Order: sequence, then C-alpha cells, then structure tokens
Amino acid sequence: MPPLELLLQQALNGVMLGVMYALVAVGFTLFFGVLDVIHFAHGDIFMLGAFAGLTALVGLKAAGLGGSLLALPLTFAAAILVTGVVGVAAERVCVKPLAGTSPLMTLLATLSLGLVIRESVLIFYPRGADPKPFPQLLPQGGFEAGGVAIRYENLAILGIGLAAMVAVDRVIKGTKMGAAIRAVAQDPEAAQMMGVNLDRTVDATFFLGSGLAAVAGILSGLYYSEIHFIMGITGGVIGFSAAAIGGLGNVYGAIVGGLLFGVLQTTAAALIPRGSEFRDVVAFAVVMLFLVFKPSGIFGEKSVERV
Amino acid sequence: MSAAGALLDVRGLTVRFGGLVALDGVDVAVAEGETVGVIGPNGSGKTTLFNALTGLYAPAGGEIVFRGRRLAGLEAHAIARLGIARTFQASRLCLDLSVFDNILIGMHAGRRTGLVDFVVRRRRFLGEIRAALERASHLLALFNRDLPSRGFERVGQLPQIDRRRVEICRALAAAPTLLLLDEPSAGMNPEETAELMRDLRIVREEMPGLSVVIIEHDMFVIEGVSQRVVAFNYGRKIAEGSFAAVAAHGEVRAAYLGTEAVGA
Repeated sequence: MPPLELLLQQALNGVMLGVMYALVAVGFTLFFGVLDVIHFAHGDIFMLGAFAGLTALVGLKAAGLGGSLLALPLTFAAAILVTGVVGVAAERVCVKPLAGTSPLMTLLATLSLGLVIRESVLIFYPRGADPKPFPQLLPQGGFEAGGVAIRYENLAILGIGLAAMVAVDRVIKGTKMGAAIRAVAQDPEAAQMMGVNLDRTVDATFFLGSGLAAVAGILSGLYYSEIHFIMGITGGVIGFSAAAIGGLGNVYGAIVGGLLFGVLQTTAAALIPRGSEFRDVVAFAVVMLFLVFKPSGIFGEKSVERV
Repeated sequence: MSAAGALLDVRGLTVRFGGLVALDGVDVAVAEGETVGVIGPNGSGKTTLFNALTGLYAPAGGEIVFRGRRLAGLEAHAIARLGIARTFQASRLCLDLSVFDNILIGMHAGRRTGLVDFVVRRRRFLGEIRAALERASHLLALFNRDLPSRGFERVGQLPQIDRRRVEICRALAAAPTLLLLDEPSAGMNPEETAELMRDLRIVREEMPGLSVVIIEHDMFVIEGVSQRVVAFNYGRKIAEGSFAAVAAHGEVRAAYLGTEAVGA
C-alpha cells in the first residue's frame, strides 16, 4: 500500500486531468442530448483548440502582448471562437444533412471530419508533425501541504476548468438559450411548438460544446507544456468514455465521469506496480465494466443504442 | 359560418404519408373566441390536423390561413410565434424539469433578454424572470390555488390532473390566439374529467378572445365545452354543426357504432 500522501497527490493530479476530460465530455453529452448524435470529430476539435490557442499566443507575442495580463483571456477567446465556428460548421456539414439516415452515417461523417482536421493541422501547421512546446503563462512555483506538493500552475488550471463548468451550468440553467437547449434535449418537436428555433438552438449547442473543448485544449497545453496533432485521438476517446460513464445526455454526469476517469488513471498509477504504464488499461477496463453493467451510465436515462 | 372573417381557415387540406391519405381535402374554419370540438374514431385524422396546423407535417395539398397569413412553408417555431399553441395527447412535458421551467419554455418566444443581459445586465434579466414567474404563478393559480407553491418541484411529482394543467399553462404562457388541445381528458377518471371541464370553462372566462380547438373522445367534454363540432372519419370531414346535430348524423353514428348497427 503506497503512503497516503502519494495517494492524495495522485488523487489531486487525477482531479486536474479530470477537469480537462470533463470539459471535452460535456461537449459529447450536449451534442448527444440535443441531436442524439455522437460527434466523433470532437476530440480533434479539442486538439484544434489547443493549436488555435498556441497560434493566438504566438501572435500576441509578436504584437508585444505576450507577457500581459490580457494574453491568457485573449488566447482563450480566440481559441473558443475558432473551435466554436468549426464546431457549428461540422454540425451543418456532417450531422444535420444526415438527419434521418442511419446513425452509422453520422458516425462515419464525423470520424472522417476528425481525420480531415487532424491531417490539416499536420500538413498546414508549420512543422505540424512535431510536438509543439506550449508557452508557460501561469505562475510557476508552489507549496507543500500535508506532504502533497501543490503547484500554482495546477491550481490555476483547476480554477479555470471549474470556472468554465460553472459558466456552462449557469448558461444552461439560467439563460433563454439554455432553456431552449434543455427543451430540445427533452423533446425537439414539442420545443419547436413552443416557439424554440431548432436550428439556432443546435448551432448554439455546438458552439458551446466546441468552445469548451478549446478551453480543455489550452489547459492541456498549459499542463503538459506541449501539444501534438494526435492529442485529439486519446482526448476524444477519453472524453467520450467520460460522457458515457456519466450517462450520455447528462451534463453533470459528464463532469462526474471526467473526474472519475482522471482519478482512476492516477490512482491506478499509484496502486498498481508499474501502474503508470497501465493507467489507461485500468481506466478503460472500468469503462468497459460500465458499458457491460450500467450501459446508460451513472445518471443516464437515454441508452447508448444509437451507435 | 362564413370563412371570410375566420381566425383560422383551413381549405382542402390534404396530408399524405406515402400511399396513405391521412387527411383528404378537409375544410375547417374557426372564428375568434370560438371553441370547436373535433371528434372521430382513432386514425380518422384528428391529430394529423393538429400536426399540420403546427407545422410538423407538410401538407400535400390545400392551404392553412391563420390571421390572414398563409402558413405554407413556415417552420414549426415560426408558426408557434404567430400565436398557435398546443398540448399533446400523451403529455409532452419535460418531467425532469420544474413546473416553472416547463412554463418558461412556453414563454420562450416572448423572452427578450439574452446571454449579454444574463452576464452584464442582471437587473434586466432578473426582472424578466421575475415577471415570467409571476405570470406563470397567475396561470397556475387559475386552475389550482396550490400549484404556484409547487412551482419549483419537478413536474414528474405532480398528479395527472395537475400535469395536464401545467401543460395547458405552458401553452397559454405563449399568449396564443389559437389553442389546440389534443385529447386533454386522455387517461383521466370521471372526477378528473369533471375538473378538466371546469378548467376549460375557466380558460373561456379568463381569455374570451382565445379560440380553442379541442380533440376529445369523451362526448361529455365535447358537449360541455364546444360551440361547434366537426366530425372526422378516414381523413375526411363527415359532419359539422351543433353537438346535437353532429351526434345525430347518420355517418357519425355509423363511424362510432359500426355500419351494421345503423344500416340494420
């Protein structure tokens, strides 16, 4: 049994990772909620968000704003805008025209789109095949509490991630757009007959979900100090798994699923001999157990019959 | 009645599903403030009429004119915003959401504050929400004085009759000029049905200008609330007039009792 401090440390690291996973998972679950689709390009939208953030940072540095307090918010805003627009475009090209056909068609279309996004970054981004160092924007250093090392940078990442989740919760629960999203998720036909514009609500949902993926992408860059064009593959699978564990269609389920996945990964690394090599094996084994014994997820009502 | 001054004027409406003709050249007109009952056996096209009126189905022929405007080609949400609201035969409330949330969705088109107000103009935003909750409470209290205090409970926790009331309130929340009620007494026992009839009379008294079209199997409800009755069979209108006249109509009796009973 490893010392308690190590477990605590790993749990904390797990929550960190989990926040990023959760942000990706919320997108999956929102898309499934409103349109009953699984958007398999979403992982690559997450990657695109990281690259858009990096590009914005490079541009800001060139403009002499690299070190300013504005750098971080502007980076997030630019990346959210890029992924939001690409996300809405993805929905209009790969999802909406295929409504009414087999869900497999949407699966194929979004998988293909993910490939297009990934290859585009590889080909068109300067030296796109290489991992890109991500600038350190957050305060370095840290402190120790009860044998657990806490870095300021990690606290900031955690704070930004949690703030994004709270913002989503408020938007969904409080705003007119949020009411439309919830109504469409429950019953699109009835929602339309209450005056809800379906197309606009679906656009808003994809903008929101894709924007969250950009936040996750930048946080991932800040955490690992590096981004890579293939990061969306694992990021997407983990985000989707987290959404499935939590119950597809349930936003809070996606958040819990993301946190659970992160903590599973890191505690597995601490509890099992050579665990860090097996962390994904353990986490995905748990995903499979969920799919077998609780296919609708922790909070899920809709079953995953579509794909 | 003359169709010229009608709030709703449906002419020659035809709806097809593949080879099946669900509605076959139907004419229906509804005047302002009038309540029209729609009867007919299952599958006779009653709900299809509602679905065509609300933009869910695209008609294969004929036209729908509402407040002088042709509805052809309008999307469902645009038709709702023109002032047509409806309830559904099987309740389509969001059972996981609160009573107030459900009614707020009914007010959706009327909400003016957006994301910007939510973030920076809180007072404006909260003012709108407060006004909406007051209106929702007012509507709920019309039917059941205890309902407003249960506004933050999940709809799924309410009894059947109150759920139906919430659904009617959700439809009324949009301040419609035409209310379509699809078999509101479905699944109710006689006591609940009596309460429903009382509720519908309250709607009539509180909103005298509102036009109502009600689909019902319960003939007591139809007789009690409608000023005019339209009978459907196999997608065609077979009779129209007062309840007594339609109930006595040979084809209507045949449709309900079977041809042998009448032909014998």
